[in-house]
Amino acid sequence: MKLQTLKSIIEKKKNKSEFAIITNLKTGESEIFEKDRPLSKEMQIYSNQINEFFKSKKNGVIENSEIFVETYILPIKVIVIGAVHIAQYLVDYAKSLNFEISIIDPRGYFASEQRFPDIKIINKWPDEAFKEIDTNENSALIALTHDPKIDDPALQHALNKKFYYIGALGSKKTHENRCQRLKKAGFSDEQINLIHGPIGIKLGGRSAPEIALSIIAQLVSETYKK
Amino acid sequence: MKNSFDEKILEEANDWVTANQKVVLATVIQTWGSSPRQVGSRMIVNEKGDFSGSVSGGCVESAVVRECISLIKDNKPCKKIEFKVSNESAWEVGLACGGEIAVYLEQVS
Repeated sequence: MKLQTLKSIIEKKKNKSEFAIITNLKTGESEIFEKDRPLSKEMQIYSNQINEFFKSKKNGVIENSEIFVETYILPIKVIVIGAVHIAQYLVDYAKSLNFEISIIDPRGYFASEQRFPDIKIINKWPDEAFKEIDTNENSALIALTHDPKIDDPALQHALNKKFYYIGALGSKKTHENRCQRLKKAGFSDEQINLIHGPIGIKLGGRSAPEIALSIIAQLVSETYKK
Repeated sequence: MKNSFDEKILEEANDWVTANQKVVLATVIQTWGSSPRQVGSRMIVNEKGDFSGSVSGGCVESAVVRECISLIKDNKPCKKIEFKVSNESAWEVGLACGGEIAVYLEQVS
């Protein structure tokens, strides 16, 4: 692979774009494939197969050829509500996974850049903050404030936008109350049951890093069920 | 869904090149049967044999490192190698899981 190609792959990953690397295994020549960007002449005959790999987000060698396709998908957007202690560990775990974390917290003293360097922090109430983030059924929500004023509007947004993962911190009792409030707000039992509450898989730990680990484990597991 | 959990190996390769090291990318391009790592898994190796990342669960890495070093020595751009249980050196580097993998080596140039 040419160093130039390597550098532009890294750049594209940084800019969060979707692309594929196409390698001719015979010659070692490789090029970058993107939607709406023409392939080189020698790769054009494989354009249907390449598109198929790209659409299904798979890696592999095109049948009866020496062409290898490696696809890069967009990182999953994870919105964390509450710039709390657990969130600091979540950010650490997410670094080694391909999650793009944004933190929403209207309380400025929590959501400081000093506590969360290199993370997108939106210092607004959820209703305002979500205007700045494009979310859809490939997004995930982790609500950590267990303050209804902050968590509830975010949970409602996530339910309306059909996030594939929605988790909310809090005891069973806190969660029961939360479900009642959502019911009153007009959400069905079916919708409310999609919320993972209390959040996380059962690890038994109680410390902030342990809770963060149980949340991230649940998030990864749900990501593979998509 | 594939490839969602990225390991930043290419980023590391770029750092190595910046530090004036010769780097070979080793990528799993095909698997048959049960194999420890999926297609697209990658490790990088420099001329000294330092490596990062993985192409199996530690079963064939030593052989991949050797192959990468000779690729650099012979100044070849690329090479495909396959690992099977029936491999001659199976006692040393075979895949205990009974799977087969093809690994593609390419120099960063």
